[in-house]
Amino acid sequence: MGFLAPWFLIGAAAAALPVYLHLLRRHTTTPRPFSSLMFFERRTQSSIRHRRLRYLLLLSLRMLLLALLALAFANPYLKRNAAAASSDRIRLLVIDNSFSMRAGSRLADAKQKALGVLNSRRSSDRAQIAALGSELHVLTQPISDAAALRAAVGGIQPGDSRGSFAELGHAAGSLSEGSHAPVEIHLFSDMQKDDMPSTFNEMVMPAGVSLVLHPVATGTEPNWTVESVNAPGQVWDPKKAHVQAVVAGYHTGAATRSVSLLVNGKTVATQRVDVPADGRVTADFQTLDVPYGFSHCEVRIDSADTLPADDAYIFAVERSDPQHVLFVHEPADSHSALYFGAALASSAESSFTLDPIAVDRTAGVQLAKYSFVVLSDVLSLPPDFESDLERYVRGGGSVLIAVGTSAARRGRIPVLGDNIVGTHYYSQDGARFLGVGDTDSSHPSMAGADRWAGVKFYYSVAVDSPDSRVIARLTDQTPLLLDKKVGEGRVLLLASGLDDLTNDFPVHPVFVPFVKQTARYLSGTEDREGSRQVDSFLELRTAKEQAVSVEVVDPAGRRPLSLQEATTAQSYQMTSAGFYTLRLANGRQDLIGVNPDRRESNLELIPDDVLSLWQGGGNTGTSAGALAEPGQREEAASRHSVWWYAMLLVLAAALAESFLAGRYLSTEREES
Amino acid sequence: MVQRFLDPSVLAEISSLDLIAKTIVDGFVAGLHRSPDFGFSQEFAEYRAYSPGDDLRHVDWNVFARTERAYLKRYRGETNSLLTVLLDASNSMNYTSHRVTKMDYARYTAAALFYLAIHNQRDAAGLIVFDDEVRNYIRPSTRQGQINRLLHGLELAEPRARTDFAKPLTHFQEFLRRRGLVLMISDFYESPERIIRTVEPLRFHGNEVVLFHVLDPQEIHPRIVEPSTLVDLETSEQMEVTPEYMREEYRPKIDAHIEQLRDLARGAGMDYYLLVTDRPLDGALREYLSIRQRRN
Repeated sequence: MGFLAPWFLIGAAAAALPVYLHLLRRHTTTPRPFSSLMFFERRTQSSIRHRRLRYLLLLSLRMLLLALLALAFANPYLKRNAAAASSDRIRLLVIDNSFSMRAGSRLADAKQKALGVLNSRRSSDRAQIAALGSELHVLTQPISDAAALRAAVGGIQPGDSRGSFAELGHAAGSLSEGSHAPVEIHLFSDMQKDDMPSTFNEMVMPAGVSLVLHPVATGTEPNWTVESVNAPGQVWDPKKAHVQAVVAGYHTGAATRSVSLLVNGKTVATQRVDVPADGRVTADFQTLDVPYGFSHCEVRIDSADTLPADDAYIFAVERSDPQHVLFVHEPADSHSALYFGAALASSAESSFTLDPIAVDRTAGVQLAKYSFVVLSDVLSLPPDFESDLERYVRGGGSVLIAVGTSAARRGRIPVLGDNIVGTHYYSQDGARFLGVGDTDSSHPSMAGADRWAGVKFYYSVAVDSPDSRVIARLTDQTPLLLDKKVGEGRVLLLASGLDDLTNDFPVHPVFVPFVKQTARYLSGTEDREGSRQVDSFLELRTAKEQAVSVEVVDPAGRRPLSLQEATTAQSYQMTSAGFYTLRLANGRQDLIGVNPDRRESNLELIPDDVLSLWQGGGNTGTSAGALAEPGQREEAASRHSVWWYAMLLVLAAALAESFLAGRYLSTEREES
Repeated sequence: MVQRFLDPSVLAEISSLDLIAKTIVDGFVAGLHRSPDFGFSQEFAEYRAYSPGDDLRHVDWNVFARTERAYLKRYRGETNSLLTVLLDASNSMNYTSHRVTKMDYARYTAAALFYLAIHNQRDAAGLIVFDDEVRNYIRPSTRQGQINRLLHGLELAEPRARTDFAKPLTHFQEFLRRRGLVLMISDFYESPERIIRTVEPLRFHGNEVVLFHVLDPQEIHPRIVEPSTLVDLETSEQMEVTPEYMREEYRPKIDAHIEQLRDLARGAGMDYYLLVTDRPLDGALREYLSIRQRRN
């Protein structure tokens, strides 16, 4: 028997406290006068002695209570050899099925080794099977049924997730908290270095859990991969679209690789690139000639390495006609449409066509065909158009509203319904103008806009919109750019105009990226990425209360969402590589290519000394030998913590003490 | 409000014993509204036909004038009584667990009784103070200034020595030759048989004897929370007792003592009344008047 925290035994000295209270303090009573002792007898003394004995029992209980408490805090344990402990020990066999395990025969080797461990155990020993990717998937309960365990091992399929040894550490912590029996984890993995978390402590096994590592990779293998592809998710002019692919080699020598661009399974372009040793190179395809609609595209290399699964990088491209943007302005205002249209057209990837229209000609406009609407300093909207616009936004459309000097006279922001509480003419102040103060750089509209440095605002309105997200403020803290969700749609509010009268924003260089990013944001193309990573989450709907069904078809052609999930799920995690077909809550169809995390392509292994440290890092006292094989650790002594037995005794002593002390104190209670 | 002046702790604030007695009695009398049972004044009771030998002073001459027949007017409470208080002044009477000692309580009771007897009932009242012997004797009288003599005797009665009922008994019998009401105020720390045996002869002279048993609440329900050493006020004997003993053995004993004393007293034709020093004083007065009513 030993103690994990023996210094807590010092607390046992507190047992002297009851001694003082019972034996020393008791004799300090002063004589009390009483009328007559005729009703007291000498045998009262014996009563006191009897009582003293009972007090001694209480004293003993109290001393025992304190001593046991100190003992429990000292965390006592019993040493038992592993053979004795193995009878109630749980073996958790964890097989790494992350993407890198597809290299060569790693997964098959891991499963073979796991079967070997299962065969070597006694038939009565319990074991549990789990697969490790980005999460730990437990496949069986702790059972001793050999057939079920073998079937679970055989059923493990290669995954596309990135491995995470930190998840293993967390899961081991949960497992040890829920089980009093010692746990022995056998990990069958290629021990890929990139699967390690940023801090080693996250993967350290907790107390009561021992780790046995079974590496299945013998050494670091060279590997080429298409690391990333930069391609537009949406194309309206194939001549303007181009594709950039980064080809990387990990632990490879210099080599020439053939890079092909495939559209719907057909190779449309091929290049040969020279990949430097252990480096990367970019292949540039100048055109992306895809048919109308969604296309399955991929960039592929000829690598001839052990991990062919990462030789292709898939992405989806949608070709469509340019989207129309409705720009509503006052008849007298011709500047704002000019500036906005010029900024919109200047983007090479722009797929928008601006349709300017005066506010008095909006009757009969079909808003559904526009990807978003701009209201530029409009004093008043025709009632029909305004109600159509509100319906359009609630149904998923978006509006950019610029409030200049004309719109401020209206007093109320259309669609939003928020009130204008004041106007600021900075040009009339001594400052002449205000710059932009705080900005929310995480908002898409602010991307590449360099915090609107140097833009001068001569005029702004103050809007009372407490539930809006403020993206930019002027230096006097007046909200300048606000974003608010209305139904399924969005409203972006600029508290100044889009002309060059109320500010110099339209003639400032940052106006172009602002318009470009805002157009992509409001049209929804900002969300549309042709490719994603495995295990990333896809936002299915924007408003929780709207029970519109969504549809997800995974690469295998299955619909992974149940009927209930299809109407309620907010997001979906894409766990497999391949093309996902989606129909989102706002009715938009989408196609997404999902690729494994390319960090899995780096097949560099964890150094042996780190593995030894990990294996011996648990607090169970197991020897930190080099990558132990099953059976090697049988002789090692294991510690069986008995602190909770001590706590049970503490509880029992406390109950007995309460009962006994309660009886003594009952005299006082009865008197009162 | 009146009841407040019967509270012993309130009376303890008053230094003058005659004022205490007056306060008690006035408060007590004020609390007897519409009580037909206690006719302590010269109250008309009935007419009775004159018979030879009757005192002519009681003939109602107005009735005689109208009817030419002689009738006597009878009043309640017209018979004067003789009240003697035997006050125990032993050391045990000095015990208290609050502001009023048993001796103080006994004094207040005796003073109130004297005041009630002399002023309201026009009875003769006397006092015998005793411990293990007779320490003071004031002969019962209705003379002018008797109340002052009695109150002075009470003030002089400081507790000392032990109680011994046997020794002063003979003196009691010498002093109590006339028939009357004898009130003995004591804590009666003696065996009930001995007390009754000692006091019983007083009954033989036709006296009404009442035992007023004065006890402190702590003597009836002692409250100690840890083993304590108790010192006997009369013998200075010390004894260690436990809360458990007090609860399990002392209480039944004191209860049995009280019960036995009450039973024996009533068996011997005496009245018994328990006075607890944290309770109002009207109980003793009520008992006195009740007995006097019965005598009439």
